[in-house]
Amino acid sequence: MRPILLQGHERALTQVKFNKDGDLLFSVSKDHVICVWYSQNGERLGTYNGHLGAVWTVDSNPSSTILASGAADNTIRLWEIKTGKLLKTWELPTAIKRVEFSEDGLYLVATTEQRMGHLGTILVYPINPDVGGEQADEPSLKITLERSKATVVAWSYLNKYIIAGHEDGTISQYDSKTGDQLENIQLHERGPLIMDIQMAPDRTYFITASKDKTAKIVDVNSLNVIKTFTTDTPLNSAALTAKKDFVILGGGQEARDVTTTAARQGKFEARFYHKIFEDEIGRVRGHFGPLNTIAVHPAGVSYASGGEDGYVRLHHFDKSYFDFMYEVERTRAQH
Amino acid sequence: MASQRREWADEDEFDDPNALPQNQIINNPDGTKTTITYRLGENGKKIKTTRKIKISVIKERVNPRVAERREWAKFGREQGNPPGPDLSTTTVGENIIFKPSLQWKSAEKEEEATGALKTQLKDKKVSCRICQGDHFTARCPFKDTLAPVGEAPPDESRPDSPDLNAGGGQVGGSYVPPHLRNKGKETGASSSFGGGRDRERDDLATLRVTNLSEFAEEQDLRDMFERFGRVTRVFLAKDRDTGRAKGFAFVSYHDRMDAQRACEKMDGFGYGHLILKVEFAKRSQ
Repeated sequence: MRPILLQGHERALTQVKFNKDGDLLFSVSKDHVICVWYSQNGERLGTYNGHLGAVWTVDSNPSSTILASGAADNTIRLWEIKTGKLLKTWELPTAIKRVEFSEDGLYLVATTEQRMGHLGTILVYPINPDVGGEQADEPSLKITLERSKATVVAWSYLNKYIIAGHEDGTISQYDSKTGDQLENIQLHERGPLIMDIQMAPDRTYFITASKDKTAKIVDVNSLNVIKTFTTDTPLNSAALTAKKDFVILGGGQEARDVTTTAARQGKFEARFYHKIFEDEIGRVRGHFGPLNTIAVHPAGVSYASGGEDGYVRLHHFDKSYFDFMYEVERTRAQH
Repeated sequence: MASQRREWADEDEFDDPNALPQNQIINNPDGTKTTITYRLGENGKKIKTTRKIKISVIKERVNPRVAERREWAKFGREQGNPPGPDLSTTTVGENIIFKPSLQWKSAEKEEEATGALKTQLKDKKVSCRICQGDHFTARCPFKDTLAPVGEAPPDESRPDSPDLNAGGGQVGGSYVPPHLRNKGKETGASSSFGGGRDRERDDLATLRVTNLSEFAEEQDLRDMFERFGRVTRVFLAKDRDTGRAKGFAFVSYHDRMDAQRACEKMDGFGYGHLILKVEFAKRSQ
């Protein structure tokens, strides 16, 4: 497979994300700009300019009309995807680390940093799906985190829960109506933070990636660990692939240690694991810095990875990827 | 009415030498169409163009919303740019072979080993042990006729030569026929035997290339034929006096399948000002 290299950013990538139909790819980096690309050929459709700090996170609503972004300039912004027009800015006291639209696109969840005397918060904003319509000024729900700030948040199925990954390696489950914490478990080792949470397409389970070198698949309802993937490098991102039962993990040595080792030992590869058997089945090289973020096309035909090196690499899988099957899978397919 | 009727001899097409024949469209039985069109060239010459057209319909289902988004105008930093990827932001990387497998680690190690070998050899100058040319000894055109340099032909005057003793059982000075030389020496025996085998296998994957121009170069031939697989030997017959090619060459492949493909593709290929004829070499009698 021939990767398409997208060079729209001048600094390290922070998140890449496909829209729901998979034809658009959004990428954000520390250089203040949001880029949108056609995933088919890697053509850049445009940029959303206006943020005054590193952009940490991006998400598009299910109808691909509104884009939300959160940045280190302490704002959440809504954009019209088609034209790049700024629709709404929410000013907050601290930086925003993660935003995500709910399944129906009517709510946006965001998590803010704990800094300058402000505690970390999880905010839920109601979203008016009409592009030209008025957006609410105040969040409909605000959860203040006294113990440990949340680094990542995600919606469960039917907007039932909000799942948050914390700095101390725990995972929390919140009731999305009342904001009550229903559960909090120590999922990863204490200390290294949880870097990424990505939901399965049906949002009944999710995968986490942590600096403790493991990725785990967890059930949304019970927060039971279903699968564990152990690697030899700190992980920054984990993604579930549709169509094939794989997971893609990305990470690599900490950016600050990179200069001390050869690229080969930096482990800057996307690692493919079998979701069910937990075996590593291959790696894809290419980045010359740690992988910060990975996103898989909703139809499972391609994936994109963004690295500390400022590149997005967009890979369209070829036949050998789809042909790979375990012996048991092949037997089952035949009967 | 009668005045309007024209005689068969009055057909003006008949007398007009510049009239162009009718364009034709022929439907072939295999589903293709042949169209023949005529036009006048710059210098008044008639030009006949024959096109064979195969129409294949490729249906693609596209989500209408996705199709609509494909038409969107660019904005932001891309504002005003024409559709299509911009080379300053979008480039295609080098091909990555990604084959999921449980044994990917061992496969990768193997690949690494060959890669390391290649880089090791990259700076090394290859020199033939037979003729000191810059090719591998195995590819030397003289490998069947000359002994390697520095490896003297069996010295008959040396009394302690074991192969001589084994060969003739005679001491010094007497002639030992070639097939008896090296006899008893295990490596020698096996190599000569293996050599015979090799030649046999070679013949199976050897192409005879004829109708070469006399300016043909061995390296050009190698470049042309290496596209189809690993070439083990290229022999270009040259005139001893002038040093020019005699017009034929032999190309041996490692794999017969490659030779087969090369034979099909290169037969009729234009090289220099001539059209090559490529066929499998016949076993010399």
